[in-house]
Amino acid sequence: MATLYPLASLAQIENTPSKQDGIPDDLEEDLRAYGCKLIHQAGILLKQKQVAVAAAQVLFQRFWFVTSMKQFGVGDIGMGALYLASKLEECPIRMRDLINVYDLLLQRASHALVGKSVDMFQYHPMSYFGNTFYDMKDALVVAEMQILKRLGFNVHVVLPYGTLINYLRVLELTNREDVCTKAWGYLNDAHQTPVYALYQVPTIVCAAILLATRQLQIPLPSEPPACWWELFDADWEDVWSVGGSIMRLYRKRTEEEKNRVVGLVNKKDVRSWLEENAPQAGSDSTSAMSVT
Amino acid sequence: MNYIQLEKLGEGTYATVYKGRSRTTNEIVALKEIHLDAEEGTPSTAIREISLMKELKHVNIVRLHDVIHTETKLVLIFEYCEQDLKKYMDQHGERGALDMNTVRSFMFQLLKGTAFCHENQVLHRDLKPQNLLINRKGELKLGDFGLARAFGVPVNTFSNEVVTLWYRAPDVLLGSRTYSTSIDVWSCGCIFAEMISGSPLFRGRDNQDQLLHIMRIIGTPSDAQFQKLAKEAPEIQIKQFPRYAKMPFQQVLPKASPQALDLLERLLKFDPAERLSAAEALQHPYFTSTGPGPAPSFGMNSMNSMGSINAMNPVGAMPPPPPPSSFPAYGHSSSSAQAQAQAQAQAQYQQQHSQHQQHPQHQSWGHPAANVGVGLGAPPQQAQQPQQGVNRAAYGMPPPGPGMPQGGMGVGQGMRAVPQQGQGMVYGQPVQGQGGQMGYGHPMGGYGHGQ
Repeated sequence: MATLYPLASLAQIENTPSKQDGIPDDLEEDLRAYGCKLIHQAGILLKQKQVAVAAAQVLFQRFWFVTSMKQFGVGDIGMGALYLASKLEECPIRMRDLINVYDLLLQRASHALVGKSVDMFQYHPMSYFGNTFYDMKDALVVAEMQILKRLGFNVHVVLPYGTLINYLRVLELTNREDVCTKAWGYLNDAHQTPVYALYQVPTIVCAAILLATRQLQIPLPSEPPACWWELFDADWEDVWSVGGSIMRLYRKRTEEEKNRVVGLVNKKDVRSWLEENAPQAGSDSTSAMSVT
Repeated sequence: MNYIQLEKLGEGTYATVYKGRSRTTNEIVALKEIHLDAEEGTPSTAIREISLMKELKHVNIVRLHDVIHTETKLVLIFEYCEQDLKKYMDQHGERGALDMNTVRSFMFQLLKGTAFCHENQVLHRDLKPQNLLINRKGELKLGDFGLARAFGVPVNTFSNEVVTLWYRAPDVLLGSRTYSTSIDVWSCGCIFAEMISGSPLFRGRDNQDQLLHIMRIIGTPSDAQFQKLAKEAPEIQIKQFPRYAKMPFQQVLPKASPQALDLLERLLKFDPAERLSAAEALQHPYFTSTGPGPAPSFGMNSMNSMGSINAMNPVGAMPPPPPPSSFPAYGHSSSSAQAQAQAQAQAQYQQQHSQHQQHPQHQSWGHPAANVGVGLGAPPQQAQQPQQGVNRAAYGMPPPGPGMPQGGMGVGQGMRAVPQQGQGMVYGQPVQGQGGQMGYGHPMGGYGHGQ
């Protein structure tokens, strides 16, 4: 129980609830990644422990295999996931702090959306007893509850960091600080992808090591019968697939693609987007999408 | 709700417990009602309790049958137990002290439940007599997992504010955050002594005082021992402590047999690394020996030990704890036949014990899609997992046959092999048409299947 965790089923992966609602694959992928970035940024501003941030991202990713983005926004669910994970990892945060931080992040994102420079951004704090606060607080409580409910309280998360250290030791790479740092970074970035809901930790850790060692051109035994990943019970196809998912995060994106997600943080925005883009629903074309 | 609420049983810090009866099966249950606080969201104790207990299915752990989730409250439906160990001791003990047969049976069951938690990588972290429930059959069950947590590869440190003071391990009192299963073992030791004597062994007023109470009995560790502790758990703070010599446990608990004292000694080691594990403790001669046993206090124990205990108890009292099924028949005879039977029971126990490790661990959430491979065209991952009996049973639907662990399930342990089907899975209000019917993410749905 503590070393294994539930994964999404094949049916859930092939036909996510968001997809069923007509949200294209690539938009869902982008919204997942954006939601996770918000969690990460909020975690940093709250000085929250990385274990809680990572656990929140895993719960967030799992959630979208059981719920559509038409029903809940990535902003609210991200906030709920971070609040929940902070309880689970025994470093609880105050609701008000979390709400203020999310409010700031979202204000800043929409500021950038209209093309203004970041230096010009000025945060307008919400009033202490204002409606904004109470609305966000309700949304937060609902989000936490929905995550618990829809994941059936299966909130056990296994983080990859300890495993990475063990594997690097076995591969005698711990003296290479650059490898350790890079692999660690890939594990963190992988939290912006759904891989933690698709594969067990050993596979993901192998992918992070693969990417790091390839980038730094460190040869490891990779010819059958002596393949290093087999040492860790990982399958090459899976490792490669995880590596691919991580690398997709770094591909070149247009401004339009980057901005699109910022305008779709709330379920209302997603719903109106779906109405506008109804004919294209389910298609893979991105050209027809616009942010208004 | 599928349960009728009966009288109030008690009120805890975050929940109210009622007796209840199932409308469908008439089974008596305990309903733990947790009010959802708009200030805090879902209490973390409730989250822990549900997420851990729904997977821990063992005769010595209070069974969580179902969870009902509504807008305003969360109701956990537990197996009903008549009373807790504290009350049992007050009612049935002699000034709280239980007779040696009962102590041994309870201690065995306590360690069995604890060992099962640890095998499944769950720390209870709050073992104390109030959290141990005793049912009509004399079965002892670990309850209240509100402070429990799962542990795994140690990357994170845990909260230091765990375990009621009197049952808190000295390493935790010193500030350790990297503790593990040994903290539950310490609590087991304290409870053991309390069952024998009738009163808590270490009754400190605060953290520091608690440490002094402990040291006055088990002695102050040497400087070398302190340094070892500090090296293993750098977060602990070593202050100057008065030098106490170790007091023989014989002096503290004059009633206890030499074997009981030996076990106690091994459970209550200052250094967590030296404490027995719960599984090791179960192998201790105190439980397995056919020797004279705790003879001095066993005058009452006739051939019919059940009868003799009954004689001690007031009329209408709860029947005595029966020996657990795999518990060696205890008696004063040491005939070889009996020894053999005990050895057999022991072997059987170990066998059953090892089966628990084949805990189906690998599930998918949401859709009932057991045994479906995962990954983008990749082979199912569980094939690579070293664990045996790993199972991708989706919850929400009792998994099909292949999800059953190999080798059957420890029936002798009273494991319930019944899947949570038709338990009236009311899930409050299924949100927007989801939830209930799909078994979507129902906390109790078929998960882990009777294990």
